[in-house]
Amino acid sequence: MGGLKEMELQERLNAIFCEVFDDEEISIAPETTSNDIDGWDSLTHVNLITSIETRFDIRFTQKEMLKQRNVGDLMADISRKLAERQ
Amino acid sequence: MSFTSLSYFLFLPAIYLIFHLTPQRWRWLVLLLGSYLFYATLKAPYLLAALFTITSVSYLCAIGMAANEDDGTRKRWLWGGSFACVAVLALFKYLPFFESGMNQLFGINATLSQTLISIGVSYYSFQAISYLADVYLEIETPERHLGHYALYLAFFPKLLQGPIERAGDLLPQLKSGSPFDYDRARSGMLLFAWGLFKKVVVADRLALYADQIFNNVHLYGGIPLLLGCYAYALQIYFDFSACTDMARGTGRLFGINLSENFNSPYLSTSIADFWRRWHISFSRWILDYIFRPLQLGWRDWGQAGTALALVLTFLVSGIWHGATWGFVVWGLLHGLYLAASTYYRPYQKKLHKRLGVAKSPLLKWWQVFVTFHLVTFAWVFFRAASLADAWYVVSTIPRLGMRGISDFLDPGKRGLMVTLLCLALLGMGALRPQAVSLVKSSFSGRGRWLCYYVFAMLTVICGIFGKAGFIYGRF
Repeated sequence: MGGLKEMELQERLNAIFCEVFDDEEISIAPETTSNDIDGWDSLTHVNLITSIETRFDIRFTQKEMLKQRNVGDLMADISRKLAERQ
Repeated sequence: MSFTSLSYFLFLPAIYLIFHLTPQRWRWLVLLLGSYLFYATLKAPYLLAALFTITSVSYLCAIGMAANEDDGTRKRWLWGGSFACVAVLALFKYLPFFESGMNQLFGINATLSQTLISIGVSYYSFQAISYLADVYLEIETPERHLGHYALYLAFFPKLLQGPIERAGDLLPQLKSGSPFDYDRARSGMLLFAWGLFKKVVVADRLALYADQIFNNVHLYGGIPLLLGCYAYALQIYFDFSACTDMARGTGRLFGINLSENFNSPYLSTSIADFWRRWHISFSRWILDYIFRPLQLGWRDWGQAGTALALVLTFLVSGIWHGATWGFVVWGLLHGLYLAASTYYRPYQKKLHKRLGVAKSPLLKWWQVFVTFHLVTFAWVFFRAASLADAWYVVSTIPRLGMRGISDFLDPGKRGLMVTLLCLALLGMGALRPQAVSLVKSSFSGRGRWLCYYVFAMLTVICGIFGKAGFIYGRF
């Protein structure tokens, strides 16, 4: 996990979700998809991606972004990128 | 062969019988040979050549991609295969455009494109590209069985007008060679009959009005033109959704569930909502394979990147429909509607609150009304014979003139009545598919059969048979 525990990563990611979708009640899990969160559509998805990239100081590739299907995929990509950097 | 032709009514039972008399493991072959025969009846051997080319190129590229771990090589297979599909598609669709350009440039009189038909090419080439992209993204494993893959592209119910199916949805079903199922066969036949009714009774009767207006726009004032625009908006919906129903009904006879293409699109409350409900398999395709890569690639530009990606995506969608300026303007309009809505959306709720309409039940219907008119406005450019005609229509309607109104309602005063009656029947049915199943389930025994007979009689008596094919067969 490149220094960042899975739960810690999920918590940080959850905070970003709450901010982007303007909803403090959001609670994400690895299996969460866009169907589970109000307002998560293709237009807001790009805001989510750019917020994640800024906060974690990483850059997703086109292929990674197109492959991500749920929060678990997002978390796996983030932790891999953080691990590669160290 | 069109779904509404006599030859299809003979072809379908024949292939259905052979399918069920054949051992399960060979049923894919019956469907494949049947599909090629179906395509061959268009009497254009080059279409079969195009289908074989796209099938073999995309099959080999996917295998080539899977054999390589290196992302650069995989990407080359993806681009190579996709380029070949687009090249075949472009050759068919834009030859008339290039030919007229060449004729003007060199003063020659080539007429090759006048006899060329491209029916089906855009649907299976889009399917092949989606398959390659999914294999590249490792969402799909490449299909090793050439026969199964060929059937995925050629399956005759969706060959000419879609739906555009993802490999993950269709391939497993095609491989299973499903056993006979009474309920599924029954619901398939009902869906097919429902589609036939919508096409020959409603769409083709509405076409009489729409065609009369759009073939001679200059003869009419604002009111008949407006009615003609409404007639076309309804015609294209009934025509295309009928075609999808007939394709899905046919699919069910063979145990195959094809995707739903429509979900009450004219009840949409925004243009974005409309594109989630209209020609769903196509809009999913352009959003997944054009819009998302562009939008994510341009994410550093913020909202402007999204807006630009939307305009470009819908411009491509317009050009996909054909090489005319009308389609380009239609695509651009939808792109601009959506791009504008990305800027407007954050203020929308605040505006509704300020106007005190946020909780009004009328708000939804106002949004449906506005969305329907924005869509219908764009259809004018899609349908009109030229940009000049389209401009005449949109600039004359605000003047609300009555010129030509009696002439407009003349070709079938009786026809108009029948159309309106059918529309009333369909009001809850076709616009709300859930209601159809509700009506079906609430009838039992004799009541249901009475209903079937009435619909069959209506189809035969009020239907217009022997007319040209479906609107979306052209694309």
